[in-house]
Amino acid sequence: MATLNEKKTCSERMADFRRFVWNPETKLFLGRSLINWVWISLYYVAFYVVMSGVFALSIYCLMRTINPYEPDYQDQLKSPGVTIRPDVYGSRGLQIYYNVSDNKTWEGLVTTLHTFLTAYTPAAQHLNINCTNNTYFIQETFDGPNKTKLSCKFTSDMLQNCSGITDPTFGYPEGKPCFIIKMNRIIKFYPGRGIAPRVNCTYVGEESRPLEVDYYPVNGTFNLHYFPYYGKKAQPSYSNPLVAVKFLNITKNVELKIVCKIIGAGITFDNVYDPYEGKVEFKLKIED
Amino acid sequence: GKSRSEKLHLKQRQIFISEFPDARAAEILARDGPNALTPPKATPEIVKFLKQMIGGFSILLWIGAAFSWISFGIQLAQGVDSAFDNLYLGVVLALVVILTGIFAYYQEAKSTNIMASFSKMIPQQALVLRDAEKKELPADQLVVGDIVEIKGGDRIPADIRLIFTQGCKVDNSSLTGESEPQSRSCDFTHENPLETRNIAFYSTTCVEGTATGIVINTGDRTIIGRIASLASGVGNEKTPIAIEIEHFVYLVAGVAISIGVLFFIISVSMRYKILDSIIFLIGIIVANVPEGLLATVTVSLSLTAKRMAKKNCLVKNLEAVETLGSTSIICSDKTGTLTQNRMTVAHLWFDNQIYSADTSEDQTTQSFDQSSPSWAALSKIVTLCNRAEFRPGQENLPIMKRVVVGDASETALLKFSEVILGDVMNIRAQNKKVAEIPFNSTNKFQLSIHETDDPHDKRFLLVMKGAPERILERCSTIMINGKEEPLDSEKAEAFQTAYMELGGMGERVLGFCHLYLPENEFPETFQFDTDSMNFPTSNLCFVGLLSMIDPPRSTVPDAVSKCRSAGIKVIMVTGDHPITAKAIAKSVGIISATSETVEDIAKRLNIPVEQVNRREATAAVVNGMELKEMSAEQLDEILREHAEIVFARTSPQQKLIIVEGCQRQGAVVAVTGDGVNDSPALKKADIGIAMGIAGSDAAKNAADMVLLDDNFASIVTGVEEGRLIFDNLKKTIAYTLTKNIAELCPFLIYIIASIPMPIGTITILFIDLGTDIIPSVALAYEKAESDIMNRRPRNKRRDRLVNEQLAVYSYLQIGIMQSVGAFVTYFTVYAEQGFLPSTLLGVRVDWESNAINDFEDSYGQQWTKYQRTYLQWTGYTAFFVSITIQQVADLIIRKTRRNSIFRQGLFRNKVIWVGIFSQIGIALILTYVLVPPSFPCPPRGFQYWFVAVPFAILIWVYDEIRKLLIRRYPGSWWDKNMYY
Repeated sequence: MATLNEKKTCSERMADFRRFVWNPETKLFLGRSLINWVWISLYYVAFYVVMSGVFALSIYCLMRTINPYEPDYQDQLKSPGVTIRPDVYGSRGLQIYYNVSDNKTWEGLVTTLHTFLTAYTPAAQHLNINCTNNTYFIQETFDGPNKTKLSCKFTSDMLQNCSGITDPTFGYPEGKPCFIIKMNRIIKFYPGRGIAPRVNCTYVGEESRPLEVDYYPVNGTFNLHYFPYYGKKAQPSYSNPLVAVKFLNITKNVELKIVCKIIGAGITFDNVYDPYEGKVEFKLKIED
Repeated sequence: GKSRSEKLHLKQRQIFISEFPDARAAEILARDGPNALTPPKATPEIVKFLKQMIGGFSILLWIGAAFSWISFGIQLAQGVDSAFDNLYLGVVLALVVILTGIFAYYQEAKSTNIMASFSKMIPQQALVLRDAEKKELPADQLVVGDIVEIKGGDRIPADIRLIFTQGCKVDNSSLTGESEPQSRSCDFTHENPLETRNIAFYSTTCVEGTATGIVINTGDRTIIGRIASLASGVGNEKTPIAIEIEHFVYLVAGVAISIGVLFFIISVSMRYKILDSIIFLIGIIVANVPEGLLATVTVSLSLTAKRMAKKNCLVKNLEAVETLGSTSIICSDKTGTLTQNRMTVAHLWFDNQIYSADTSEDQTTQSFDQSSPSWAALSKIVTLCNRAEFRPGQENLPIMKRVVVGDASETALLKFSEVILGDVMNIRAQNKKVAEIPFNSTNKFQLSIHETDDPHDKRFLLVMKGAPERILERCSTIMINGKEEPLDSEKAEAFQTAYMELGGMGERVLGFCHLYLPENEFPETFQFDTDSMNFPTSNLCFVGLLSMIDPPRSTVPDAVSKCRSAGIKVIMVTGDHPITAKAIAKSVGIISATSETVEDIAKRLNIPVEQVNRREATAAVVNGMELKEMSAEQLDEILREHAEIVFARTSPQQKLIIVEGCQRQGAVVAVTGDGVNDSPALKKADIGIAMGIAGSDAAKNAADMVLLDDNFASIVTGVEEGRLIFDNLKKTIAYTLTKNIAELCPFLIYIIASIPMPIGTITILFIDLGTDIIPSVALAYEKAESDIMNRRPRNKRRDRLVNEQLAVYSYLQIGIMQSVGAFVTYFTVYAEQGFLPSTLLGVRVDWESNAINDFEDSYGQQWTKYQRTYLQWTGYTAFFVSITIQQVADLIIRKTRRNSIFRQGLFRNKVIWVGIFSQIGIALILTYVLVPPSFPCPPRGFQYWFVAVPFAILIWVYDEIRKLLIRRYPGSWWDKNMYY
């Protein structure tokens, strides 16, 4: 089979390329005449304008079909995630290490808690109502102002010793730190099937003595009247109920692994892929 | 020295005959190697394999894999959880390269094997004298000094010096190109081994007679072996399609690298981490490289090769499939390729009239007027004055297929009479032959005397045939309508006219005459003596003329006219006489009915040849002798100026000169050949075509393609297939390139708009190597868009496989539409799960943060990292599915480039539907069956399969409009920019 590829030197190739960019004989720029470039550019501008229009139209149609109160599907949010404050992430998950004798190591943690609780001051919660029923707060109609639904008040004083009011350092210098557990919001999720879900913190693995914990509010429960959640549009002033835990017998200078699970029907914490579903695990080390 | 060496040989011979033992032969065999031509040196398998591993896009993918491993290493050192993802990605990319490499290697090996099996089909045997015993041995076991016996029909098993011959003739055409059989004897007649009569050459054939000889050269040391190894020394160069594919690979790689580097710079300057930028770079490379395409191209080519093999074109090199399609000049042999390679009676002249006979391949009757008594007389002479006989045991074969013992003309006459009269052997038996003088070159006639089949007629019948003028000399009367009339000058004139006319048609003319011997002079008991000629051989009665020709194959004229409309120039190159060559060229249309040569014009205008304006002549018949005198410029001028060219009386060496001349015109040249001497021309040609039946092994080795039926028409079907595959490869590539944009856009928008990643690298591989493979092969089965043989051959410099229009239309139009469709699906998935489009912009950092496990969506719901990631994978699935759905539309629109899909027919190519169903099926399996948890492609909502459907329809409609405008406004701006 005969050869078809004529070998070119580098300079020939460069000359070819230069001629391709601007060919003075045929007056072609990059293989086209200038007027041709204008036409093709106009065509592409028009084409992309139309395609943008099509895209915009599609998104518009999509938005028209969307329910503003709740998403069409919730199949990916079956069980709520759990988060903890203060939250310091190391390379292997939550790692909360501090030294009781070194202010600087725990001041940041305390500040995190204070900042977090600013959303729970009486002023921040003034739009919400006081609820006393210990059952689900089901609202079929929009009873709130501006076609909204009512939300129950959760103020930081409900966390008592861990509210930061009585003890602004949350027990950190004493080695008995407070942590705040929060459950993620899921629209129209009824946790506990009538029984208020509660937080339960334990050591992970073998520990010589059981973990002593104070839970606030009592028993570490999330009151049912905070559920269900009706979404941002229906309940603009809703805030998640919280549970505070205070660890009383932390061994110093040892890294401890603690898990706080939420116990309640409908809340799973055994998804091996998701470490934050229904539970939160963290490492705690208090030095002195 | 001659006599001494003769004596020496004689002495050796006696020794060998008596005591050449097997053991000694084995020693020599071990020393010299087997008596076979070494096949051309093949590239070592490992080199071929490694070439597949680094060729094409493989380098890019290796770079991608290397980057993956580097980032794996860095991330592992940093203790990042997802580090192993990059390890796996690197492994997958490496696997992709290795698997596609193995596949391509396997495909190539398979097509090579077809050829290998072909050449081994007939193991040659030789009759050898060893241990004073005759043995049948495989020819490759022969050693120097062996005594071999050969007979008519055998192939000479080695170069041998003859020590005994009996009427031995050999056909040296495969070696020297001379088509006339040459007689062989034991006489040393020339110093040049090629000229001397006592040597027969390896791979030539013994036509008739028997001979015994001593093997003097075996294997590569034979004359043929030396020529063959010379020809195989020419290296393999790139085929047109290889160049096209290389061009395409450069183009895609260029796009991949420039976009990759551009976005690497953008992402670095947007303060992404270098490591992240590298990971983006990998994604961009993977998205840009059509991983499955080269394998698809190989499959398409081998499918075509198979289809061509069915049509008798056996392609040795897959890429030659397309080369044939871009052929612009075919230099064809005459004998056997354009013609049937057998003499056949073409015309008859009796009763002062010329009759035409049927010369087709499968004749069963002859339709000319057979009522005249003159014909009865003529047919009797034809039947009786003939020594040729059918080999026994072929009664069930069609007459034309039967094997005959006898020379070409006698065979033609035998078959001719058998067709008309039936059982010739029986007629001969009834007309017992009593005497015979065979044809010889001094007499130039053949004569035999027979008893008649009429029991009451006791006369003898003398029949004679021979050169017409010689026969006429011996005649005093001529038969007209069954009556003997005196042969006057007027009748002699009529004979001359007829003889000239038949001769002018390039036909071999024979005259026939007879004489009934008077009963009184030649009684039943008369003893005829052929030496003293005691019977009359003059004053005979002239009966008629028969003319024979090797007629064109019946399919050839059609094929030639197809070539003409396909813009392919057919040049006849033959060793035959110019008149015969021209006649055949005219009858098959290589020289069309209206065109004239310079000589024709000179004759018509009655002026000397030199005065004719050469430009007026469209045809030219060039003699080999003239060609010898010509300079390259003169040859170029002939090739340029004349549309219809016949080269006559050329040697195989001159074929090479002609091929080179054609290539100087920038043509893609196909050359047919069968002889060993043709191999340089076959090698030199862009596509060398060897004859499967008549071709020598050397020719087959040198060729790119073997024509199994030796038929020119098969070349033309091959050309058609080659053109079709070129068109279809365009479609395949356009189809494959389109979705690259839909795979690339997610990365670009991810980098620029910081949205959650729409599609993963592995998911891209699902498309490229999963759903898209069968559909792109299916396009190879697409039928031609009407006029494939009505356009000029592709200009190899201008008509690229992947041209600007194809790339731009696929990338910037259909690809963009696909991207829009896929993004709409993506946004739909996220919106329906709670993330409205507006909330997605700019969220990348938080979205991908492991430290945020209460990420809020548009409805106030909160998501953990894993829940988000899972949603992201759902997005991958949806994106993947919507690309697949739009690729269905892409597949349908790629069926045609110009015609409406409805004209092409949606259902004519069933394989497309196999492609569509496989595409959807594979996508279903990937998303719903093969999904371990945490697989980057989880099964989710069936509704997302339909989001992209309107866009699929939009693509179809848009492309129909494009095609409509192309058809409506040919040559317009639209046509120039939108037709690929």
